[in-house]
Amino acid sequence: MSAKHHTITALVQNEAGTINRLVSLFRRRGFSLASFNAGDCEDPGFSRLTFIVDGDDATISQCLKQLDKLIDVVECEDLPKESSVQRELALIRVEPTEDQRQSLYNIVNEFIARTPRSTPTCVVVEQVADVYDIERLIEALRPFNITEIVRTGVVAMKVEG
Amino acid sequence: MNRSGAKIVMEALVREGVDTIFGYPGGVVLPLYDEMLNWPQVRHVLVRHEQCAAHMADGYARATGKVGVCLATSGPGATNLVTGIATAIMDGIPMVAITGNVNSWAIGKDAFQETDIQGITIPITKHNYLVTDINELPQVLAEAFYLANSGRKGPVLVDIPKDVFTAMSEAPFPDTIVRRGYKPAGAPARAEIEVAARLISEAQRPVIIAGAGILHAQAMAELLYLAETTKIPVINSLLGLGSFPRDHELSLGMMGMHGEAAGTLAVQEADLVIGLGNRFDDRLTGNTGGFAPKAKILHFDLDPSEIGKTVNPVAWVLGDLKLSLGELNKLIQPSEHPAWMAQIRVWQTQFPLIVPEGRFPTRTVLKGLNDVTHGNAIVATDVGQHQMWTAQFYKMKKPMSWLSSGGLGTMGYGFPAAMGAKFARPDEEVWAVVGDGGFQMTLQELQTAVEYNCNVKICLINNGFLGMVRQWQELFYDNRHSHVAMGSPDFCKLADAYGVKFFRCSRLEDLEATLKGASDHVGPVLCEFVVEMEENVFPMVGPGATNSALVMDPDLIPSEEAHQLGAFETTHAGAVKS
Ligand SMILES: Cc1ncc(C[n+]2csc(CCOP(=O)(O)OP(=O)(O)O)c2C)c(N)n1
Repeated sequence: MSAKHHTITALVQNEAGTINRLVSLFRRRGFSLASFNAGDCEDPGFSRLTFIVDGDDATISQCLKQLDKLIDVVECEDLPKESSVQRELALIRVEPTEDQRQSLYNIVNEFIARTPRSTPTCVVVEQVADVYDIERLIEALRPFNITEIVRTGVVAMKVEG
Repeated sequence: MNRSGAKIVMEALVREGVDTIFGYPGGVVLPLYDEMLNWPQVRHVLVRHEQCAAHMADGYARATGKVGVCLATSGPGATNLVTGIATAIMDGIPMVAITGNVNSWAIGKDAFQETDIQGITIPITKHNYLVTDINELPQVLAEAFYLANSGRKGPVLVDIPKDVFTAMSEAPFPDTIVRRGYKPAGAPARAEIEVAARLISEAQRPVIIAGAGILHAQAMAELLYLAETTKIPVINSLLGLGSFPRDHELSLGMMGMHGEAAGTLAVQEADLVIGLGNRFDDRLTGNTGGFAPKAKILHFDLDPSEIGKTVNPVAWVLGDLKLSLGELNKLIQPSEHPAWMAQIRVWQTQFPLIVPEGRFPTRTVLKGLNDVTHGNAIVATDVGQHQMWTAQFYKMKKPMSWLSSGGLGTMGYGFPAAMGAKFARPDEEVWAVVGDGGFQMTLQELQTAVEYNCNVKICLINNGFLGMVRQWQELFYDNRHSHVAMGSPDFCKLADAYGVKFFRCSRLEDLEATLKGASDHVGPVLCEFVVEMEENVFPMVGPGATNSALVMDPDLIPSEEAHQLGAFETTHAGAVKS
């Protein structure tokens, strides 16, 4: 993950078209969107979104202003790592050989990941962590024949102080 | 009281003080068109193409500051509005566009004349709605009008399925509108005003660029006070024209790609550029790398996203311009900049706008229009060379009397926009200045003008070319004409067919009589001016060039006096190609 990655969160009022309008802003104005995630939040009728955006400071500042200008956006901000919790969930399906199973479980334990489902042919590894840890886990699992990866994109929460 | 969705729409219009709407019927809006018959206080103007309904609503809004309303059916009716909505968002024009859609249960099934107009217009509206619950309709309509005409103004679209027009609801209109995500700019921060006042007091060579934000905020008096107290000269962006009196000694007219030389050069030499409600767009700044190279930029706007979008100001004031300038004016001290003004006068004498004599160029006509109307008419332009010349030569005396598609540059805009203005302000003389190209994009509205006796004067500049494109081909493509020669119908017969009064003028000798004749006639007039074919607009900053590389009119012979005073080095037309 390059130093240019920024984590932007936005609280938005949810109506028909809201998500479309937010995401289309990134395309229309040429902001580079690496991932985004949307979900319900503490206020009914509102959602919180997390965007991972690449760009220099001027671009990110313009991106925040453009987001804020949308009528649906109540507030948005660029969250620094230090004052936030940033997590992503990944599901990684591997199809190890019989001999590899034990070392696979060793790695899963080492990473404190979970295996919510395993069958004679495959194991699904689940991890909730920050992006760096997820990417390290994926690298560690490569030898075990990864056949599918699903990631939620980062969700982030500001924690003051 | 239980009432239908159609009735709620009409109630909303009356509540918002809308006296005129521009529209075109179709299947899904039939319930609304039927209901409309019960509301004589709202005049519906039946256009000939929905694009023109949007442009008329736009013209209505620019001439009054009120929200313009247009109405179309689903599918092709709605998509025909798109150009007009895009024109409005670029120039910050308050507009509410109401579209019908197929029944809510049919949405998403490719029903007949279904189109996702909400999705299509997301990037070109300030906000938009698809209303599927009748109980939300009063709230949505009230919000739409509020959003359109507050903060940075803009078009809002409300898409209403047919069954919502016929459903019944008792939901009331809201008394106040609160949206957590919407906080239109208010008073400025004191600290920002203090910095601005200090920068202004320190400047030796200050200049103001006044944009359309002054007009939107109705801050003309505050601007005048600021300029007169500090003796800072004022340049307008294309859309800011009318916000400062052009006959004022401090007015430098328009700047930009075809702006007046003195203003453009002043910005290049200034040590402080004060942008007031303008957005430093590329047609004004030229290459931003070389824009105002010696100046600090101080930017006033109500939209935070405008600050630092294209140029980097050292300081800014966020807030409603009327309030911001009001606060600033309390802190400023009277000042004079005699040396600076003397330099500007040199440029003005050296590089005036000129009208060649002994020929019949477009400039003659537009200068004539200014002379005959004394700048008192409302003027709408189309897009092209004639637009730039009108901006140069038409010295409008009043604000809200200049309508031009500056941001989107929409050909076909001028005539319907002029009609919208005339519907809004029937007592004013209204002219549309259009080219032979652009006029042929929306001339079907002649029939609308006739039916409503919409007394608009059309000044049709017939140069036989898509002039502005021809100019670029001449200057940047070795004069290779590719599809720019433009045939036209016999406009006399055309006017006759529509029953519109017609004048044709092709000589200077007839100019004044023609303009006066058109002006005096009661009812729509088409005035064709057959002008010189290959005339170019100058000064010109070539695309991608910096404003210092301003190219002057080849017909310009700098005065002796200016030469002696030692003036700016500028390029002559031949050099623009390199
Ligand atoms: C809808 C649209 N299509 C194309 C253009 C590109 N364009 C800009 S100016 C121009 C020529 C306009 O010609 P005319 O209306 O005859 O006016 P003139 O320049 O001759 O005054 C064209 C084609 C545009 N601005 N709008």
